[in-house]
Amino acid sequence: MAKCDLSIEIDGGDRIYTGGDIITGVVRVNADKDVNCSGLQVRTLWATHGRGNVDSEEADSKILFTGQWVAGEEQEYRFELNVGGWPPTYHGHYLNVDHYIEARAKIPWGFDPKATVPFRLHATHPNEETAKRSNVIELKGPAAALVGLVFLSVFLGMGFAMAASFGWIILVAFFALPLFGGLFVAFRFLLPKWALGEVVCEIDTEQVSPGQEVTGELTIQPRKNVSINGITLKLSAKERCVSGSGSNRTTHTHQIFDQTYKVEDTTSLRPNEKRRFPLCFQLPTTAPYSLDLGNNDLIWSANVNVDIPRWPDWRKTISLNVLPSGKGADGPIIEHDAEFAGTPATSSDSANGEITFAETASHLWSVRDNREQTEMLVDAVTGLTFDLQARVERRLLYSGDDDPHVFKDGYAIWAHYPEPELPMVLYVPHDLADEFEQIGREVWRGRGTIVGYDTLHGRLQVKLEQDEAERR
Amino acid sequence: MTTTKTAAPRHEWLPWAWCNLRRNPFGELSRDERARLAVVNAPELARLVENQRHAVQLIGECGRGKTTRMLALQKYLPDASYTYLAEDQPCGPIPVGRPILIDEAQRLTRRARRAIFCSGLPLVLATHRDLSRPLSRAGYHVTTQWIGQHADAEHISQIMNRRIEAARLANGPVPTLSMQQADQLVARFGSDIRKMEAFLYDNVQQQKKTEGMQRGEMRFID
Repeated sequence: MAKCDLSIEIDGGDRIYTGGDIITGVVRVNADKDVNCSGLQVRTLWATHGRGNVDSEEADSKILFTGQWVAGEEQEYRFELNVGGWPPTYHGHYLNVDHYIEARAKIPWGFDPKATVPFRLHATHPNEETAKRSNVIELKGPAAALVGLVFLSVFLGMGFAMAASFGWIILVAFFALPLFGGLFVAFRFLLPKWALGEVVCEIDTEQVSPGQEVTGELTIQPRKNVSINGITLKLSAKERCVSGSGSNRTTHTHQIFDQTYKVEDTTSLRPNEKRRFPLCFQLPTTAPYSLDLGNNDLIWSANVNVDIPRWPDWRKTISLNVLPSGKGADGPIIEHDAEFAGTPATSSDSANGEITFAETASHLWSVRDNREQTEMLVDAVTGLTFDLQARVERRLLYSGDDDPHVFKDGYAIWAHYPEPELPMVLYVPHDLADEFEQIGREVWRGRGTIVGYDTLHGRLQVKLEQDEAERR
Repeated sequence: MTTTKTAAPRHEWLPWAWCNLRRNPFGELSRDERARLAVVNAPELARLVENQRHAVQLIGECGRGKTTRMLALQKYLPDASYTYLAEDQPCGPIPVGRPILIDEAQRLTRRARRAIFCSGLPLVLATHRDLSRPLSRAGYHVTTQWIGQHADAEHISQIMNRRIEAARLANGPVPTLSMQQADQLVARFGSDIRKMEAFLYDNVQQQKKTEGMQRGEMRFID
């Protein structure tokens, strides 16, 4: 039996929004029984759909109403929300991104009725994080050598330890894997390099826009005479979506663009003569933007291939970050970091110039969907002790194989801060056990130190203060 | 009971607006949506774990619906706790719950298993290995459900049509998977629901915008 229906009407119909725009409209509520609503929330958000796990993020949110709806009456609530700015609406094969207005009425002790309406967002500027993103972390020279040396020492140590414990057959099996790995490296990198000598391949910029011409250069300086069948550059884009987790994890890949450009025909390269091959290609004007949304990515790359007859080819893959140019667009740049221009440690709102737990919880809550910002913030407050409040959710029966924070004879509980409901893990010392046993759903008040963040469950880890006498 | 309704704008820019769908119904779902759409008799399953030292183990191959059952039960029983044990990772925290739901329970370490079985709390374990012996040794009354042994076209059509309904764009008709088509899916994929969904996803994906509109109807199976 229906009790409460919600519907949304957006002003402006099917218009395309750009980053920073405001979307307006009305939420209509029809109740056929008296309903007590603890909050009619309306929000803008983006969410992926397709073969990958769902990634989503809220852009803006407002509570439009709290109170009683009377049976038979229709109520209207106007809203005005920011549409966000990234990612843009995208419909591909395995990956789709859509933006929505969602209205939800929170009904105590009942299912929350919900209405959702999609709208289109056209990105005119990349967000800061996307623009800053560097696709490749390169280890060069001494750093790479050092890492290699450390890896080799550890590997050899493990190998000989295994040989001592389990015999030489195990040792042979242990070394077979790196042997095949070594053969692969030789085939893929060393042999082509041996034939071609010094090869440098560079693209002028890794950050490009649809329709933009991309230029670069490939230089080859062989040590001896070498003939090549040709040089090609393949520009490609693919959707990469991850579904499931653990043993059910599957990666789905779909090629959405693939074009090969001929850079050079059959030619001969003379010893010690540096040959320069200009690289030049144009991105399609309809090229979708690069996306990095967690489980769902859209990846652009340029693959340069030097075809050496009867020899492994020389190949290099260059990642491209395809982003809106920002030119000619009149929308403002969306600054996602604006809210965090200052870290909480320097917040001027705090009494005595010190941050409170309420402020910490509020900051963490607002960045809870952004792993990087959450980790940065937790790093800043780890080690700080606060007066805090918590509402207990449940005790942990088993707190994990390697949790160093659990007190001897103590235990861990899952709890949340009252408002906002920031999830926490509280490490409870033995002397507080009775207090927690009896507290039920009441708010607990006490002191604790932030010791870290449980990324898997999205919970702030807080170690509660032990009684002085108990500590001694 | 409450319902969900959406106003009816045109949204012709959406790939499946022509058949009143806002998305391909057979893509991945969020955990919450998966629990909400599960075709599972949660009350019946809940009755088996009402008491202390009662355990249900769900045994079956991948893609048969063990996790979906667990998520539906978690939604039905607010006091339940759900834990997924990831492969190649240390056994993480397991919260108290009534019942405690553990997915991939064959990965429980000996220490964790002892802590949980000693608690006597009601358990629902999704596992690839029969754990009835250690459970019985710990004093548990065990019910074993073998998942996905018998494929049932009616059940399959119910699952798929619920997903289609959840992808509804506006009021009005949406495509449905017929019993005959469900039979064809069972004949082809047995009880592997995950493979059926992947197959249907690809078929629906071929019918975006003009391709589907020209035919005028959604064809789930050619």
